[in-house]
Amino acid sequence: MNLLLGLVQQMALAAVPAVGFGMVFNVPVRVLGYCAAGGALGRGLRYLLIEGGGLPIEWSTLLAAAAVSLLGVTVAQRLRAHPKVFTVAAMIPMIPGVPLFTTLIAIAQIQQKGLSNELLSTAITQGLKAAFIVAALAVGLAVPGLLFYRRKPVV
Amino acid sequence: MDPAPIRKPLPLTEPQQREATRLCVETGLTLLQHGAESALVENLTRRLALALGVERAEVALLANAVVVTTLGEGHCITSVRRNEDRGISMHMVTEVQRAVLATEGGELDAAGYRARFEAIRPFRYPRWITSVMIGLSCACFARLIGADWTSCGVSLVAAGVAMAVRLQLVRLHFNPMVNFFVTAFVATSIAGQGAIYQLGATPRVAMASCVLLLVPGFPLINSVSDMVKGYINTGLARGMYAVLLSTGACAGILLAMTVWKVWAWL
Repeated sequence: MNLLLGLVQQMALAAVPAVGFGMVFNVPVRVLGYCAAGGALGRGLRYLLIEGGGLPIEWSTLLAAAAVSLLGVTVAQRLRAHPKVFTVAAMIPMIPGVPLFTTLIAIAQIQQKGLSNELLSTAITQGLKAAFIVAALAVGLAVPGLLFYRRKPVV
Repeated sequence: MDPAPIRKPLPLTEPQQREATRLCVETGLTLLQHGAESALVENLTRRLALALGVERAEVALLANAVVVTTLGEGHCITSVRRNEDRGISMHMVTEVQRAVLATEGGELDAAGYRARFEAIRPFRYPRWITSVMIGLSCACFARLIGADWTSCGVSLVAAGVAMAVRLQLVRLHFNPMVNFFVTAFVATSIAGQGAIYQLGATPRVAMASCVLLLVPGFPLINSVSDMVKGYINTGLARGMYAVLLSTGACAGILLAMTVWKVWAWL
């Protein structure tokens, strides 16, 4: 029950940033709905895989991104537009923004305060976390092209 | 999607081939300027060339230029265009792609494509709607990280105002890194007041979430996508650009935290 409640909350909270950043990326108005759906689906699936399936965050992210991308292909063919037009905005709720900035701030602190184990470990672990999640998102989005549309364009 | 229908293999005259080359390189440039990934740029440019009746077309993408060569009747025509970033616009990418698809389907000829391509006008959402939506987005991020409702409100205000500042600086054609620095400073300064005046139980989460509007998500994802698909040079350039933008934002955050003497993040 708690899992379900968490899922609903995650999906609702993910749909808003997907639309918000869709507007920053100038996604056409009629496509914004797909951004919201993709954002909710991606974040929801990742939550289920982490909390229910016990998978690590980067593998969950990969699977969630791949699922959104595969569904995005069918939508894209109907819209006559490349799936990236709305799938990237749908990935925004999963982008590791906090680890990214934490890394940079930790590096700046190392410069100011000198090297300490704590700062170095923060910089490296958070930086790796950000890099792995971004890679998982991008590779996940590329899954239809890598597996099914190897020699032909998606749209 | 079906491949281009079989059409007359009439060879193009030289002026026709020249026009086709121009259309292709301008198409590629527009796509690259508005944030399409390299594979899409190359694919659409090449398909447009073939749809316009060129025998073969080669596309080379550099970090800030597009090169297109068309081959026909035993000679080549090459054209280069310098690329300058126009900001991400999926609307432009969609419209250009639809025009290329129409040409491929045989609905448009070279003149028709040019008319349609040149008629595409950039589309922007009203700035206040975008600012409100980004404010809400950052409030949602705050909630996802575990903020209470008051901190979500602080994040909403800080991110909304920061987004309005960011869009204004874009309009004034400031360098994006300067823009990100100033925007991060504004966002952290406003959210920092929440920490100073003890608004909500989680002021530090609000400070962290209000700058998430500055995470360069699109360049980061495009960077990895490009490299996975073999476009290492554009991928590296985009990745470096994303890191530079983040560094600009990070400098803004640090300066604001130093000025207001509120420490968050670590």
